[in-house]
Amino acid sequence: MVRLIWQELKFRRNAIIGWGLGLCFFPLVYISIYPSIAEEMAGLADLELYKALGMNLGTFGDWVGSILIVFMPLIAAIYGVINGTETLAGEEEDGRLEMLVTLPRPRWQIIKAKAIALTVSFILIFLVVAVVSWLVFLAIESQIETDLEGINLFMAVLSGLPLAFAVGMISMFLAAFCSTRRVAAMIAAAILISSYFGTNLANASPVLEPFAPLFLFNYLDASSQAVAEGQQVGDMVVLITIGLVAFILALVFFQRRDLTVGIWPWQRAKPA
Amino acid sequence: MSEKVIETHDLTVYYGKQLGIKAVNLMVEKGEAFGFLGPNGAGKTTTQRVLLDVIRPTSGRATVFGLDCQTQGVEIRQRVGYLPGELALYKEMRANQFFEMYEYLRGNNGAKGYWRELAKRLDLDTSRKIGTFSRGNKQKVGIVAAFMSHPDLLILDEPTGGLDPLVQQTVMEMVREVKADGRTVFFSSHILPEVQAVCDRVGIIRAGELVATQGVEALIAARLKRLTLIFANLPPVGTFAQEGVTELSHTEQTVMLEVRDNLSQVLAAAAQYGVQDIETHSASLEEIFLEYYGRGNGGNHG
Repeated sequence: MVRLIWQELKFRRNAIIGWGLGLCFFPLVYISIYPSIAEEMAGLADLELYKALGMNLGTFGDWVGSILIVFMPLIAAIYGVINGTETLAGEEEDGRLEMLVTLPRPRWQIIKAKAIALTVSFILIFLVVAVVSWLVFLAIESQIETDLEGINLFMAVLSGLPLAFAVGMISMFLAAFCSTRRVAAMIAAAILISSYFGTNLANASPVLEPFAPLFLFNYLDASSQAVAEGQQVGDMVVLITIGLVAFILALVFFQRRDLTVGIWPWQRAKPA
Repeated sequence: MSEKVIETHDLTVYYGKQLGIKAVNLMVEKGEAFGFLGPNGAGKTTTQRVLLDVIRPTSGRATVFGLDCQTQGVEIRQRVGYLPGELALYKEMRANQFFEMYEYLRGNNGAKGYWRELAKRLDLDTSRKIGTFSRGNKQKVGIVAAFMSHPDLLILDEPTGGLDPLVQQTVMEMVREVKADGRTVFFSSHILPEVQAVCDRVGIIRAGELVATQGVEALIAARLKRLTLIFANLPPVGTFAQEGVTELSHTEQTVMLEVRDNLSQVLAAAAQYGVQDIETHSASLEEIFLEYYGRGNGGNHG
């Protein structure tokens, strides 16, 4: 099992390095630039347009929340969509999965290894970004007025992990359920994007507010208070539960899936 | 009593509304090399995938080593080496890394490191990345992976595809050695001479249905026969016009016939015209195969 997970991580080595370094762009650019735009940001604090995009402006804490708790996890979740669908449906389509499932290993072990590898890759990516965020903060700390400490930024980055995990597992489930990777990726991307905009719209419009719990980003608080004090435990539990439920569904559907033939569950052979 | 290694009962697979295989009844015994013949899309790969629990049957049942393919797949696959027809490998891995991983994941059945011997025999450079290999070398990787654990059953789907003739010969030797060792080979192919060379029995699948299962020799003996009749005085054209008899040529002294049926009437007619000599030629497996199919028929069923 450990060997299988290690192998999966090795296959994704380049993606982990690429995405990890790519996501460091957020702290390296957007956090380091803050001292020079602080005054300008304060003036934009009340603009509804930014609020509709899920951005809180005004203080350093607001800015950090918008960048590290909204945008960074949003982009990291795209990695979850790509790799969550690739690891099952992608490998099924290119034939590699057939080699794997014809080995004397139960299918649940294969999908479990893939899910753990995806989760570990998220943790590695988020840790790299968290460390870089802390270092950038130390570099600019003397130029800004804030009560935050480096550890707050570190934890703010890690608070996006449950959301990325949920999206990754949803993508894996869709890959096990849908007929092709393309369809699975399309639906997973639609869920991600609608969650992002849905949360922002629900926050902006009282009419849409009752629908807010349906959207994943509703469970991420990007306020300066959340940066300082951390996320609500209940929200994190909801996201992790969504991820675990999606994983269990992926397990069930993969266990029953006819591989290599690209058909939907209702088209599959009825058991004799 | 011989041990049944593969057994299927009315095995049927539909992909949605499309037929994969229909009511396939197969039985392969221990120590046998069984050739599974059919054109592309006839249902060969579908049958193999059911045996390995890659896909599930719509109806019917399949067992390998007496174990149910759907519920005891892991136990079955411990004893099976499989070479898929559409081989896909991890391109970024070196061949030796792939074999080490594969050995670990499948268990080595006491054959640890045997892949090195096989790779050497097939002249495969295992230090190179799989992505840099030619099609033939990738096929060698698949062959080594299938043979490396000394499996009790080898399921080979078009094993010599992409290989040069020398390596093809080596692979056929390897198959013969497995058979000589008392292990079983399920050999799927449409390259008939190689099936004829290594297999004891063949099953011919057409449009998802198994149309014949017979010993290779018996199949050849029972089906088409070619007769060359030599006469002093040539009988008139149409003398041998019978059901199941085709006149291939009619020259100065010889008449060449293809005989499926009514052999005794043919011989009686030949005697009537004072036949001087008769030469018989059994049809090759290829000719029998084409007889079952007709050219270009019977495909597109998974």
